[in-house]
Amino acid sequence: MGPDISHHPLHGADGSVTFSSKLCSILAAANGPVEVQRRDELPEEAAVEVNIRPVSGVSGPRERWLESVVAAVLRSVLHLHMHPRTLIQVTLQITKAPSSTLKGAVQDVALLPSLINASFLALADGGLPLRNTVAAVLLAVVSTGEVREEPSEKELVGCKSLHGLAYNNHGDLLLSESAGGFDLAEWERIADQAEETCRAAMAPLDEDGVVMEGTTSSGPWLRQELTDKAQAAVAWREAT
Amino acid sequence: MAAAMVLLPGEEIPTDRLPKPKKGKLTLGPGLQHTPPSIISATTAGSLQVDHRKAALWLEHAGGRYQPSVGDLVIAQIHHSSVETFSCALTPHTSFAILGQLAFEGVSKKTRPQLKAGDVVYARVSRASKWEDVEIECFNSATGKAEGMGQLKGGMVFDVRPAFARRLMMGTDKEGVSKGGVVVLEEVGGKVKFEVAVGRNGKVWVDSGSVRETVMIGHLLRGADEGGWDVEGQRKAVKKALRDV
Repeated sequence: MGPDISHHPLHGADGSVTFSSKLCSILAAANGPVEVQRRDELPEEAAVEVNIRPVSGVSGPRERWLESVVAAVLRSVLHLHMHPRTLIQVTLQITKAPSSTLKGAVQDVALLPSLINASFLALADGGLPLRNTVAAVLLAVVSTGEVREEPSEKELVGCKSLHGLAYNNHGDLLLSESAGGFDLAEWERIADQAEETCRAAMAPLDEDGVVMEGTTSSGPWLRQELTDKAQAAVAWREAT
Repeated sequence: MAAAMVLLPGEEIPTDRLPKPKKGKLTLGPGLQHTPPSIISATTAGSLQVDHRKAALWLEHAGGRYQPSVGDLVIAQIHHSSVETFSCALTPHTSFAILGQLAFEGVSKKTRPQLKAGDVVYARVSRASKWEDVEIECFNSATGKAEGMGQLKGGMVFDVRPAFARRLMMGTDKEGVSKGGVVVLEEVGGKVKFEVAVGRNGKVWVDSGSVRETVMIGHLLRGADEGGWDVEGQRKAVKKALRDV
């Protein structure tokens, strides 16, 4: 099945979610639109602020970089012009990360897809205006040359290259971060597979809520989660 | 009615789901966006609701911050007062809404209300735009009547989700059945005397004879909101709470 998701764990935040994949767990909170500091204010659109808190210690240059990458993706997902001169704030607390020592870049890329998925779900929970649906996926080329979706920690240690990609529902590439050695042909193959996986995550459900297209093991987990949540929100309508 | 269709952000509404208005005009509610010439797409994840009589459609969504729109009744807290206006908070961490010092029933320059920081008023949103500050008023500016608005003295304010506040404000249909599926207030009202004001910004003000009863009503409302109790569950919880008080 797909990742483990629980909606709205935080009561103070406008939108929040806990997101657990094989490698890591993330607690995400989205607030917005809120008042923005004067120096961050943009006259025509909302400012996006992403804060990443590591499992332990204070955030450093590594988290700054992750923040900038996540913020760039969120900017292309949000309808920023709908709330000018405001702030949309996303806070991501990493609660579990790969424990074994990984090479620097591998460690960073391994977290990115989960960060993107968690922040998207938090924004959706907070009812912020979104341009499109986005899903991110982590792909690893293991030592035998095989491509693994959502690799385990063991596979990460010996992998040749690691790729974090995100696609939206129109099939546009929103995130591409890689680590390790690979050639262009290999990357193209990986990108095709990633697009298929991302689209499968939001593939339509048929009448019984069973997978219609996409044969990946996790199925349309993203659509399933959002559909279940939306139906729970209108359960009172059926009752009356 | 067929099961509500759930849309994800960025998805288009199939044209056969659109209502067919007589005047050729559609009304779009929250969560929807029109891209000329004829594409209507979702901007959030929610289930599509259609009112065929009014040719209106909107996405129903549970969470999120309150966005002011003209005509909404809200509960605002005074933050500070300046020469001609009060600055009030509708939701935390957003810029203040403006309430004119003379925007009350029967008030002249000499008898303006003396509101302090922290006081709570029941008001209506009179102007809401994304480019400027929200304005609210405590009287109907067309008739000059208060219509139940004004300062809320005593009592307590409880936070609920805006979607639940909307359900509370839906009222009852001709048979006296609650349209929003919330019967907590009616059930408690059978036994206990209290006053209530519901703000669309997710705030409910309750005042009754004792603090104990006020807090009980507040807890019941929050329980019904967060627990998602159905009508029967609400009745049970109210009975239990009334026994304990």
